[in-house]
Amino acid sequence: MIGRGWARTVLADLARHWRHFAAASVGIVLGVAALTFFLALGFQVREILLDRVFPTDHLEVAPKAADLDLFVLRLDLGRDALDAAALESLARIDGVEAVYPKMRLTVPAMASVGSSLFGAGMQTEIVADGIDPALMAEEVGGTFHEVDDGQPAVRCTRDVDCGGDAYCGRGAGRSEGVCRPFIPVLVSPYVVELYNGAFRRAYDLPKVNPDALVGLTFEMAFGASTFRPAAGPTIRERMRFAGVSEMAIPLGVTLPLGYVRRLNTVLDSPEAGERYHSAILEIGDRDSLPQVVDGVEKLGFEVRDRGVRRAALVTAIVIIVLGLVGIVLIAVAAAHIMHVFYLVVMVRRREIGLLRAVGARRTDIRRLLVGEAAAVGLAAGLVGVAAGVAAGAVADRLAASRLPNFPFKPESFFHFSPWLLASVVGLAVAACILGALPPAHRAASGDPSEALAGR
Amino acid sequence: MIRLQNLRKRYPGADIDVLCGIDLVIEDHDFLSIVGRSGSGKTTLLNLIGGLDRSHDGAVEVNGRDLRSLDDAELSDFRNRAVGFVFQAYHLLDHLSCRENVAVAALFARGEARRDASWVRRRADEALATVGLNGAGGRRPSTLSGGEQQRVALARALFHRPQILLCDEPTGNLDLDTGREIVDLLSALHSNDEMTVVAATHDDTVAAAGARVLRLHDGSLEAGDGGGE
Repeated sequence: MIGRGWARTVLADLARHWRHFAAASVGIVLGVAALTFFLALGFQVREILLDRVFPTDHLEVAPKAADLDLFVLRLDLGRDALDAAALESLARIDGVEAVYPKMRLTVPAMASVGSSLFGAGMQTEIVADGIDPALMAEEVGGTFHEVDDGQPAVRCTRDVDCGGDAYCGRGAGRSEGVCRPFIPVLVSPYVVELYNGAFRRAYDLPKVNPDALVGLTFEMAFGASTFRPAAGPTIRERMRFAGVSEMAIPLGVTLPLGYVRRLNTVLDSPEAGERYHSAILEIGDRDSLPQVVDGVEKLGFEVRDRGVRRAALVTAIVIIVLGLVGIVLIAVAAAHIMHVFYLVVMVRRREIGLLRAVGARRTDIRRLLVGEAAAVGLAAGLVGVAAGVAAGAVADRLAASRLPNFPFKPESFFHFSPWLLASVVGLAVAACILGALPPAHRAASGDPSEALAGR
Repeated sequence: MIRLQNLRKRYPGADIDVLCGIDLVIEDHDFLSIVGRSGSGKTTLLNLIGGLDRSHDGAVEVNGRDLRSLDDAELSDFRNRAVGFVFQAYHLLDHLSCRENVAVAALFARGEARRDASWVRRRADEALATVGLNGAGGRRPSTLSGGEQQRVALARALFHRPQILLCDEPTGNLDLDTGREIVDLLSALHSNDEMTVVAATHDDTVAAAGARVLRLHDGSLEAGDGGGE
């Protein structure tokens, strides 16, 4: 039995025994709805953890610490820098697509934020590092770039004389100066969260919108510190916010790598301009994360634990638990369907005997019953998925109205991707087919005479 | 030709054989009536000839082929094309129309026997007309009388113009007059279509229609009374 005849017979049988099949479907609908709901929740949690809280398509690698605690002091006995050979070794690890070195600013620095932002001038010690702008090209585009401060000096008296990307750098008390390029800086979302949380409350300052920070300027003095008097020269520059990025140093500002290299060379030593303190590894496929971490550790380096390990563990546990839920669902749904199909086969045994008598092969009977099971699974899967999505929408609405705001609170707690929905429906179909196989096999076995006699 | 050789059958758990070494030859175009009391093994014998039951000793040969040598697909195709069954209980599917019941074998037809929907519909109506049920194709079996239902079952058996028609108590659930109509139909089919008809019955009218009558008694065949022989 093939083609339209088969399909028509399957549909007719479904219509005829709809009560049985509806009863069989209840468990599957509930199971599929629950699975859709929890998988979508799990995947969204995974996305938030790995994309926003602990981004794992990039790993920060640093020399392994070998600290020795001596009373109040901790002595650093390990390497504290990566050289060119180390960067090459890291680039050869399977799964690593690119290596971007990072360099810390090795001299103190102070930032002065003018009254335009906070209503009152503010000065603070600040740490900084430098990263390759190529790493940020996709995230913040061309606003974060290397600066060329070796251009011929252009004299100026006001900022407007220097165009949009430069300002008029004048010494104290001087009315004339030369045009200097703004140094683009990035800040981490942690800095913004910290400021908008505890810091602004303590100092009675306004909350800032991170999207509106781009383009704002402030001044930095490299080599200057309130902790100790400057032992060497000080370089003053105007900085301009280029964006907020996970790649930025968690507490401080991140500058283009070339500029930090020059500052370290000029203000500290030529060697300081050649030592990288860490490197960002770009990973092509998230699933290769464990393999990359393993490769890094084999080379004697360590992955900066910004929660990556915990995030990986949490997501692994979530996926294992959800996988178990899926397995339990398959087992329960298959058992339920099996029970119902045994009942259906018993009720229809004379009919099956008649079909065999007029020429149905064993495979025809199996195909008929499996087709009915697949149709039940498809219908139940679609209804279950719709119920799961609806439950997610209700949960989102409740979360939006009842849950307080917290860092990284998403607009939706669920990620209903098309492949997830299709997979869950496929799972429902597979469960129903699996469940129907033993009764279908029993219906098809034995001689037609037994079935016609009701045995 | 149908040839049974030393055919034995015992149901699981039974103490005695229901068929005890039957030897029988049924020539093409024969009309054989097998009579006997209930439980004498008539239905079992028809089931074995029609390939509905294969658990037996001895041989059932149809046109020189031992049915036990056929695999499930071959045996199913044999039932689909070569044999038509008429059961005492009709075994009509009430969720289908009479026409769909008649054409149900078309669902399982393969190869050359597979035809398009319009042919199937036309042939089903022809078969219904043959049994005198013109215009009943769209009706549900449950809306028909017992005699009409048995006619639908007969039309179903005739759908693929089988070589062999096996009738198991075809008048068992019918009154005398209706039963006689069915017997007349069987006789006409045998005469006109030169079909081989084997009817198991305890109805004298059916038995008398047969060219030969054999009596099944305690699992063995004996020459019966009456018939055309």
